[in-house]
Formats: sequence, structure tokens, C-alpha cells
Amino acid sequence: MPSNTRVLVADDSSTMRKIIIRSLNAVGIADANITEAADGQEAIQLFEQTAFDLVLTDWNMPHRTGLEVIEAIRAKNSTVPIVMITTEAEKRRVLDAIRAGVSDYLIKPFEPENLREKLDKLCPA
Amino acid sequence: MKAEYINPFIAAIVDVFAKMLGCSLKRGDPYLKDRAQPTYEISGIIGLSGKAIGTVVLSLEREVALQATSTLLNVRYKTIDADVIDSIGELTNMIAGSAKAQLEQFEMNMSLPNVISGKNHVIQFPSDATSICIPFDSPWGAVCLEVSLVEKHAAKGFPAKTGTPAASPLSNPQEVLA
Repeated sequence: MPSNTRVLVADDSSTMRKIIIRSLNAVGIADANITEAADGQEAIQLFEQTAFDLVLTDWNMPHRTGLEVIEAIRAKNSTVPIVMITTEAEKRRVLDAIRAGVSDYLIKPFEPENLREKLDKLCPA
Repeated sequence: MKAEYINPFIAAIVDVFAKMLGCSLKRGDPYLKDRAQPTYEISGIIGLSGKAIGTVVLSLEREVALQATSTLLNVRYKTIDADVIDSIGELTNMIAGSAKAQLEQFEMNMSLPNVISGKNHVIQFPSDATSICIPFDSPWGAVCLEVSLVEKHAAKGFPAKTGTPAASPLSNPQEVLA
């Protein structure tokens, strides 16, 4: 993954954001290129204000869900990779996310290498 | 509550602790929790609703919560702070979500997690909801997963405010586990 990749991480759990950021750091993304959002509304606002190369979002968040985040981003940008990282594992949920335009889907709990594999696939060096 | 509803929660907590914490759990004997009993010092709580209604409580001894957070965040935690609270909420979220996926027929939604911290706190379930407590030993201390799940057509008046808990269809909690 290119080290200058600009990443938006949206999760209402600060613990999960830290775990995800640790994985991003491990694939060479510096903290300076990572922006955190603590809820869906903040994620949408940040995406409207800033250019990102990759979005990683939770599903269940206050104010706006991750599904709404995907829909809002896709209304403006059809190409930026979006990965949903969530405990929502049912087929109907995955299908909803695919319909909304998600690029990839990672179910919690996950091993760190599971996330790194997806990052390398979506943003190859 | 039907016995088969419990096994997804048992599989979920074992999987979450293994994957996120590298921690193996040793399961104890489950029991019906038919009255308010003190839980451990920290409890993460998530509500489930859909074609079934329920509550999931992950209750942990203080040292388990501290060690779990230290493992998740690679920082040694010695006191219960916002990071510990958030971590326990997220672990509860993963356990409930993972189990929910195995109970897809109920098309349930999850609430956001709440976390209660304090010695001798008591979590009261609705009186017509049988709660099953599954105790676990971890290398860091005791863990308990409490689950209450009622199919919606069977959950008349749920949540009830008072009254004696209804007789449980699960007369022997040992039958939960194969």
C-alpha cells in the first residue's frame, strides 16, 4: 500500500480505531495520513471536506450508520475503496452493504493479517 | 428460552477472546439466573431486537477487563478508564454480533453497547425473560456471559416490570451444551 494513502477510519469505538490504525501503520501508512471519525455523521462531513483514497467504516454507529456513510460517499464518489469492518455478519447485511456500494467487507473479530490482506488488495503499492 | 439459542453465544465468546485477545477460555457449568445476583465488576450490555428480543451481558472481573484492554491496545492499564470501558463495550459488541449472525432467522438488530463499572452492581433482566449465565475461567480471572433471548411471539408484555420469573423451559441448564 502506498505510504501516502489518505485513509478515513470511522468507528464509534476508540479501541477499534486504534486497532485499525495499528494495522494501517503496519502496512506503512503514517498517522498523519489517517483521519478518525467517531460516528457516521462525522465521517460524512470529513469526506465532504477532505480527499481520501480509502475509507474504513464500522456499521453500527451513532447519528448515521456505516451503511448511510457508504451511500453518502457513493453519491459523490463512485471509485474510492470503502471497506466495511463490522460485527454484522448476516447475508442480508452483507447484501445491503454491497447494494450501497461497499468495496470489501471484514467481519469482526478479525486477525490483523485479515485487514492487511484487504488493504494490500484494495490499494496495491 | 430454547437451549439451541445459547450455543452461538458460547461459540462467539470463545472465538472473540481467541482472535482478539489470544486468550483461551475454560467453560464452567451454565446455570439459570432467576434472581438479581451481583455480577463481576465490569459489565458490557447489548440489547437485541427483531423476531426475538434479548439481552447479552459480558461480565468481567476487574483484572480480566484490564488485561483484555492491555492486550487490545498494547498498553498496560492499571485502572478502569475510558479505554477500558470502550474496549469492553467493543468486545461485547463482537460477541453479540457474532452470535446474532448464527441466529439469522430472527433478523435481529443490536443496540449500541453500554458498559457498567462498579463493585456489586446488579443487572436486572425483564421478569419474564429467563437469563442463562455461562461462567468461564480465563488466565486473567473470571468471565461470565449472561444471555436472555425470547422469541417475539413468546415475549408477551416484554419487558415486564414485576412478577415472578416464568418457569423456564430449560429445566436443566446443562442441556445447553453438548
